[in-house]
Amino acid sequence: MSSGLDLLSPEGLRIDGRRANELRRVNCKTGILVQADGSAYIEQGNTKCIATVYGPREPSHKNLQYHDRASINVEYSIATFSTSERKQRSKMDRRFIEIANIVKQTFETAVITSLYPRSQIDIYLQILQIDGGALHTSINAATLALIDAGIPMKEYVCACSAGCVEDTPILDLNYFEENNFTPTLTVAVMPNSGKISTLVSESRLHLDKFEPVFNLAVSGCKQLHSVFDDVIRKSTTELANRVMEKQKE
Amino acid sequence: MALISPSEKDFITKGIEADMRNDGRSRIAYRDFTIETGIVSQASGSCRLRLSKTDVLIGVKVEIGDIISNTTSDNNNEQEQDIVNNQNESDKGRIVCSVECSPSASRDFEGKGANDINNELSQIMNRVLNGPQGGIDLKSLCIIPGAQCWIIYVDVLVLDYDGNLLDTIFLATRAALQNTRIPKTEIQDIGNGQLEFDISDDIEDAEKIKGWEDVPVTVSLNKIGQKYIVDATAMEELCTDTKIIIAVNRNGEICAMQKSLYGSLNPSLLTEMIRTAKDIGKVLIKNLDTTLEHEQVMASRANNKKFGFFI
Repeated sequence: MSSGLDLLSPEGLRIDGRRANELRRVNCKTGILVQADGSAYIEQGNTKCIATVYGPREPSHKNLQYHDRASINVEYSIATFSTSERKQRSKMDRRFIEIANIVKQTFETAVITSLYPRSQIDIYLQILQIDGGALHTSINAATLALIDAGIPMKEYVCACSAGCVEDTPILDLNYFEENNFTPTLTVAVMPNSGKISTLVSESRLHLDKFEPVFNLAVSGCKQLHSVFDDVIRKSTTELANRVMEKQKE
Repeated sequence: MALISPSEKDFITKGIEADMRNDGRSRIAYRDFTIETGIVSQASGSCRLRLSKTDVLIGVKVEIGDIISNTTSDNNNEQEQDIVNNQNESDKGRIVCSVECSPSASRDFEGKGANDINNELSQIMNRVLNGPQGGIDLKSLCIIPGAQCWIIYVDVLVLDYDGNLLDTIFLATRAALQNTRIPKTEIQDIGNGQLEFDISDDIEDAEKIKGWEDVPVTVSLNKIGQKYIVDATAMEELCTDTKIIIAVNRNGEICAMQKSLYGSLNPSLLTEMIRTAKDIGKVLIKNLDTTLEHEQVMASRANNKKFGFFI
C-alpha cells in the first residue's frame, strides 16, 4: 500500500488534520420538515443527509402487508449536486437499491415492527453532499428521524466506519481515505446492548486487523450515541416545555 | 397529495369569495419566504428557499461542454437536443434544468411517482430560461464559437411541499443564479485560426452570470369558484379548477404564459389576471433582490461564515 504514508503523517495526523481515532464534526437536528411524520438532518464532516419517515400507515402495495408486523420501506437517493462532478443518476441505480436494502435490514432488527401489523413504515434518505461514509450517515439520520416520528425502537442504532492504514486503525473515513484502497468496515450497533445490527465490508481486511478496526468502529458508534442522545433529549425537553406552556394557557 | 372533502372544499371556496383565506390572507397576498444562498459548498451557486412550508434546494453547477447546434445534430442526448432545437446559433451557451421531487415532500413522489411532475417542471424551466425572454445572456456563456461553451446546470431538489411549487422554484432559481460564479477563461490564438483557452483558478476572478437580473419569476394564479388567488397552499390547490402560470421579469414584461388544469376562463378575467400577475411579479422580484442584498451584507459582517442549512 504505497499511498499509506500520505494518509497518515509521521506525526499520526490524517489528511484533514484528525487523529486516527477521531470522529468528524457531527451536527444534527430533528423535525426539520413539516409534511413528514418524522425528519432529521445530519452532518458528519462534509457528508450531509436528510432522512424522512412516514408511517406507520397503510402499505402502498398489498404484497407488503404482513399480518404480524409492519414492513419497512427504504428509498435512498443522492442529489445531483452532491458530488464534485455533476452526475444524474436514476433512483433505480443498483448501488442505491443495495444501500436502501442494508438500511432496511438494519432497522428491521431495531424497530419493534410487531406493534403495527398490516402497516408500512417508509424511510426516505436524501444525500445532499457526499464526502465518504454515506452509508453510516444514512443509518444515523434514519435513527434520528424514526425517533422524531415516535416509532418504538428497542434502542438507538448508531453506525460508524473504520479502516486500516498500514497497521493503524482509523475512524470515520472521508472520501479520499475511502477511495485509496483503504479496507473499510461499516458497523451499526445498538449501543446499550452492544448488539451488532449491520456489518459491511467491501474490501480485503486481514483477520489480525479485524478486531482492532472493529473495536474502533464500535467505539465511534458509542461516541455518536452520546451526541444523538443529547440532541434527542434537548429537542424532547423543548417539546415538553412547549406542551406545558400550552396547557397553562 | 392529500385528500380533500366536499365540505372542506366548500369552506375554502366560500372563504376566497369573501376575500378571507384559511390562513388569514387576502386573495392577492403572497406568503413570506426565507432564503439562504451559497450553502452547498461543491456547487458553483446554491440557494435554499422556503415559501412558508414549501422548501426547495437548488444547486447550480457550471461545466464546459460542446456547443450543439442544428447543423451538428449528431448528439444523442435527447433532453439537451430539445433545448437547442429552437436555436440555431453556434455562439451560445445553454442552461439545463432538472427538477427532482424528493419523497420527503409527499408519498406520491416515491419511486417513479415523481417522474411526471419532475418532467413537467423541468420542461417549463428549460423553456423559459433558454429563450431570449430568460434574461441570461447566453452569448456570454460561449467560450469558443462553434466549439465550446459553459453549460449551466440548475438542479432543483424539492424537500417539502405546501403548494405553489413552480413560483418557489423560479424564485429560488433567480437567487441561485445570482449566487453563481463562473470561472474566467482566457482565449489564446495558437495560430492558423485555432483557438485555445485557459481557465483561471483564482476564485476572485470568477464572474457573475450576465443577465441574472433579468431572469423572470412566475406567478401562478389559481381560479377557485369565480375568483382567483395567488400563492395557493396545498389545500387550495386541490380546489383549483384552472391555473394560469405567468412569468414576469423585473420590468413587468410577460415572458411566458401557460394555462393548466381542466377548467376554462373568460378572456376578460384573463386580462385582469395578467395585470395582477404583472404587478405581483414586480413586487416579488423587488422583495427577493432586497432580501438577497441584505443577506450579502449580513454574510460579509459575519466574516463570510455561513450558519446555514438546517442547523
